[in-house]
Amino acid sequence: MTGNFGLALFSAILYAVAIPGYGLSSAYKSPATLGLIYGIIFGDITQGLIIGCSIQLLYLGVVATGNNMPSDQAMAGIIAIPIALSQGLDAQMAVTIAVPFGILGTFFNNMKRSINIWFLHYADRKAEEGNVKEINRCAVLYPWLFMSALQIIPIFIISYLGPTAAQFLIDYLPSWVTGGLSVAGGVLPAIGFALMITQIGRKEILPYFFIAYFMVQYMGLNTMAISVFGVCLALILFFNGSQKKGGEVHE
Amino acid sequence: MSERVLTKKDITKSRFRWFITLELPNSFERLQAVSFTYTISAALQKLYKDDKEGLKDALKRHLEFFNTEGTIGSLIVGVVLALEEKKKLEGDVDPEVITNLKLGLMGPIAGIGDSLIQGTIKSIILSLAASFGLQGNIIGGLLPFLFPLTVYFVGRYLAILGYNLGTEAVNKLIGSGLMTNIINVASILGIFMMGALSGSYVKLSTPLEFTIGSSGKSIAVQEVLDSLLPGLLPLLCIFGIVWYFKNKKQNYLLLVISIMIIGMLGSLVGIF
Repeated sequence: MTGNFGLALFSAILYAVAIPGYGLSSAYKSPATLGLIYGIIFGDITQGLIIGCSIQLLYLGVVATGNNMPSDQAMAGIIAIPIALSQGLDAQMAVTIAVPFGILGTFFNNMKRSINIWFLHYADRKAEEGNVKEINRCAVLYPWLFMSALQIIPIFIISYLGPTAAQFLIDYLPSWVTGGLSVAGGVLPAIGFALMITQIGRKEILPYFFIAYFMVQYMGLNTMAISVFGVCLALILFFNGSQKKGGEVHE
Repeated sequence: MSERVLTKKDITKSRFRWFITLELPNSFERLQAVSFTYTISAALQKLYKDDKEGLKDALKRHLEFFNTEGTIGSLIVGVVLALEEKKKLEGDVDPEVITNLKLGLMGPIAGIGDSLIQGTIKSIILSLAASFGLQGNIIGGLLPFLFPLTVYFVGRYLAILGYNLGTEAVNKLIGSGLMTNIINVASILGIFMMGALSGSYVKLSTPLEFTIGSSGKSIAVQEVLDSLLPGLLPLLCIFGIVWYFKNKKQNYLLLVISIMIIGMLGSLVGIF
C-alpha cells in the first residue's frame, strides 16, 4: 500500500506555508479545525471532527510561555488525522500517533528561532544603513520563505509514508502496547491542565478548581454548562472586587 | 495635548503588522526584536522622513531584546509610538526612557497576557470547540477562529488606548486596583475552567478485581474508588504532575514518555 501523493503535498503546504498570523494560524492549524478540513477531504466530517477534537484535548491549557513550545499541536494534527481517517483508526489510536509528532514539531520551532538569529544580525547591519525595506523583509519574507522551504520536504515525506508505517505498527504491535498507549491517551491531557495549575493556581484560588472538577464528577455537567456558571461566577467576583476598591477610596 | 503627526490609522496599521508577524522572526538571541522593529518601522519612517540619522538610531534602539505576550502587548506598541512621536516633536525624551519603558512593561504584560489570553481565553475557546467536535458537530471545527478574532479586536483597542493614554497613565493602569481585580478574576475563571476540563477529559480507571475467599465473590477496585470519591484516579494524576512541575525540572518530553511507558507496563500487568 502506498501513500497518497496529493494529500501528502496538501498537508506539507498546509503546515509549512501558513506560518504568519498571531493566533490565526493557531486557529486553522488547531487539531479541531484540521479535523474538519480532513473530514471534508475524506468525506466523513463527523469522524474527522471526533478524531481532531480528541487530539485537541491533549493540548488544552498548553501555553507557550516566552514562545517555548512544549509541543506542536499543528504537527500532531496534520500527521495523525489523515493517517487515522485513511486507515479507519479510532480516536484513541489517532491520539497515540499524534503525541510523538507533537513533540517532533517543537524541533521546527527551535530550528526557526536559531535560523532567525542570522536574519536578526542582517537586520542589525541594515539598521546602520537606515534601510527599512530590508529590515521589513527580515521580519516577514525571509523567515517565512526559508522556514517554508525547510519544512515542506520532511512533512511531505512523513505524510506520504505515514499511513503505511502506521498500519505496519498496528498490525504487529502487541495488545498491551496499544492498550497501554490508549491509557496514556486518557492521561496526557492532564499535563496541559497541570501546567496551568502550576502557573496560575495559587492555593487561595485552588478551591475553584475542585468545585468545577466535582461539578463534572457528581452532576455530569458538560463544558458549555460549566462555562456559563464560570462566567457568572467571574462577573460576581469582578463586581464585588471593584465595589470593595470603591469603598476603600471613600474611607 | 501637544500636536500629533501620527494618525489613528498609523497606529492600527502598526498594530496589524504586530498581529501578523509577531512570532515569525522570533529568534533565540533577542526574541521579538525584529517583529517589534517591523511593527513600528512605517510610523518611524513617517516621523523621521527628514532625519536619516534619527531613523537609524530609532531602528537600532528597537532591534534590542524584546519579548512579551502579543495581545496585551499591543498596549506597548501604542505607548512606544506615542513616546517616539513626542521625542521627535518635542525632543525632550531620552532614548533610554523608551528602551527602559519597553523592558519595564514587557514582563508584567507577558504575565497578564499568558494567563489571561493564552491560558484562559484560548483554553476556554478550544475546549468548547473540542466538546462540540467530539459530538461530530461542525461548530467544533469553526470555533477556534473565535480566538484570533478576539485577539485582533482586543489588541487593536489596546494599541489605540496605549497611544492615547501615554506612558504615565499606562504605568498607572498596570499597577491599578482595576487591573489587579481583572487579573485575579481571570485566573479564578481560568482555574475553574481547568477544573471542568480536567473532570471531563482526563480519564483513568482500573479493571482490577479481587476475589475474596473461595465464595467467588469479587470486588471491583474501581467501584470502591468511585464510592469513595468519583474521579479520584485522574485527580491524583493531575496533582502528581503538578507536584512534578513544582519540584523537578519542567521536562515535558520526559513526562510524556514516562506516562506512555507507565501506561504500557500497567496494561501488561493488568492494572489499567
